[in-house]
Amino acid sequence: MLQNSLLPGVRLFASEVSVLFRRWRTWAMLAALAAVPVLIGLAVRFSPKGPPTGRGPAFLDQITHNGLFVGVVGLVVCTPLFLPLTVGVVAGDTIAGEASLGTLRYLLVAPAGRLRLLVIKYLASAVFCVSAALAVVLGGVLTGLALFPVGRATLLSGDTIGPGEAFGRLLLMGGFATVSLLGLAAIGLFASTMTTVPVGAMAATVVLAVVSQVLDALDQLDWLHPWLLSDHWLDLADLLRQPISWSSFGANALLQAAYVAFFGALAYGRFSTKDILA
Amino acid sequence: MKRIWTRWLPAAAAPAAVAVAVLAGGASAVTPPSPSTPEQVLALVAGHTAQRFSGTIEEKADLGLPSIPSQALGPATSSSSLGSAATVLELLTTPHTARVYADGPSKLRVQVMDQLAERDAVRNGSDAWTYDSKTNTATHASLPSGTSSGSTSPSVPAVTPDQLAQRFLTAAGPSTNVTLGPTTTVADHSAYTLVLTPKTSGTLVASVQIAVESQTGLPLSVDVYAKGQSDPAFHTAFQKLDLHAPDASVFAFTPPAGATVKQEQLPAPKAGSEATPKPKATASKATEPAKNWDSVVVVPADKVPAGFTGSALVKQLASPVAGGRLLSSSLLNILITNDGRVIAGSVPAATLMAAAK
Repeated sequence: MLQNSLLPGVRLFASEVSVLFRRWRTWAMLAALAAVPVLIGLAVRFSPKGPPTGRGPAFLDQITHNGLFVGVVGLVVCTPLFLPLTVGVVAGDTIAGEASLGTLRYLLVAPAGRLRLLVIKYLASAVFCVSAALAVVLGGVLTGLALFPVGRATLLSGDTIGPGEAFGRLLLMGGFATVSLLGLAAIGLFASTMTTVPVGAMAATVVLAVVSQVLDALDQLDWLHPWLLSDHWLDLADLLRQPISWSSFGANALLQAAYVAFFGALAYGRFSTKDILA
Repeated sequence: MKRIWTRWLPAAAAPAAVAVAVLAGGASAVTPPSPSTPEQVLALVAGHTAQRFSGTIEEKADLGLPSIPSQALGPATSSSSLGSAATVLELLTTPHTARVYADGPSKLRVQVMDQLAERDAVRNGSDAWTYDSKTNTATHASLPSGTSSGSTSPSVPAVTPDQLAQRFLTAAGPSTNVTLGPTTTVADHSAYTLVLTPKTSGTLVASVQIAVESQTGLPLSVDVYAKGQSDPAFHTAFQKLDLHAPDASVFAFTPPAGATVKQEQLPAPKAGSEATPKPKATASKATEPAKNWDSVVVVPADKVPAGFTGSALVKQLASPVAGGRLLSSSLLNILITNDGRVIAGSVPAATLMAAAK
């Protein structure tokens, strides 16, 4: 019985993911994300002088000692804009894209299919969040291995760790970035149920991500900061302390879970009461 | 289509669930320790047994100074001309979170966790290290054996509740009324509250509240209240506290390869905190009472470090008054006289101007 009700869902999910990764747009975005650490690595490697200490993106001066830091710099650079941008495009397209193509009503012919479709669309966006963070990490690691020595990595606390542990920490940071994007993906899903114009939903999602960061930078609004989507985004560097400070990882996961629950419920309310005309 | 509104119920339930979770998290059970007299609590602090602990402290100040975004101060703190004044400003205007590890009197590590950066102070036996991840510089000093780890390096702007409470309590003499406030809970530990009230009316300090762990006597939080302000002007408290010995590896510090290492010479034992440049010393004065609550510190012009009075940040924040420029906050006033002296104290500006004559 359970299998009978789950199986079509699993099949639909698999087809959603394969549609997502068959689009050239998905691959273009992943390639652009992977290109960020590659460009950083090339710029540092072939600049006449070494990177100046204490200027430019955080951790830039660490790259020449340990190539894996190309991935760290890439994540720090991509977190405020590039990652939210690509997630906004994918999540904003979920429902509105089908509606604008006129394929939404065919997806909904199955009875009681709306909630399931919503969940599956969200899970597919979550898969993209993982791939986006991994694209930055892998682009960084491959560039680092090709251009720089991989020695002991210096953590923020001044302690050093070996390359194996450094790679583990980098993967954890990728995980942190993924979790940070899950709330935004839920916002994108909700925006996508509001309109039949995918570009509108994408723009709304990305604008919200930027607004959240602008508000986060204003000290006068510090009462609001714990509730902002982006409040913990740059805390991914807490994974580079010795010992690892897990509290921000937990706080971020809770915050994102609350955003997923709230905007997921809003999306359900909107999508299940909407007249599907296209 | 009659029951269509039920589809929106989850959307209403989600924020309600969040609100319930937030309220439930805030209301933790308070186990009141048995009643006690102020003298007993003072004795408890004086002989406190918590030499080994690890925890997270939160520190914030509300001195009525303009709030400056930390991003704006970031470049200034690492520049050499503005550095010291900007560090003080950063300490006084932006909140900090720090992790503290202590194991006995000679092992201490404080990690100030900035965004994408960290400042460390490590004391391990006779070695004292500081490390700043932004500039990738480390300093090393050899301390004479027997020095207690009372103060961390001035470049690390963190004061543990323990250190601050000890300063207040050693200074609290006959000029202070000590009473007992209601018991509280700090970082899931039940605590007595000591309230120090200055007897004199000539100071800006209204009261100082110190929460003392009821089992071990470890000070858990310090709140300094200024007159005419309901929020504490300075607040430092444990958010998390674990009364077990931290892992020994925490105190083992070797500067990373590629870091600039400076060797610092300490002029004389016990002079560590006095050897710091004046702007940093003023920062600690903001929280440290001198002999009396209303005493005034006068620094002669030739003892004021070059660049402090002329720095752009000080110029911008200080307002011109008769006889000099005044840096005014709710807890501390600093007068920079026209002849270059620096006069400071937790007293009204008029007292400083009288002292300048």
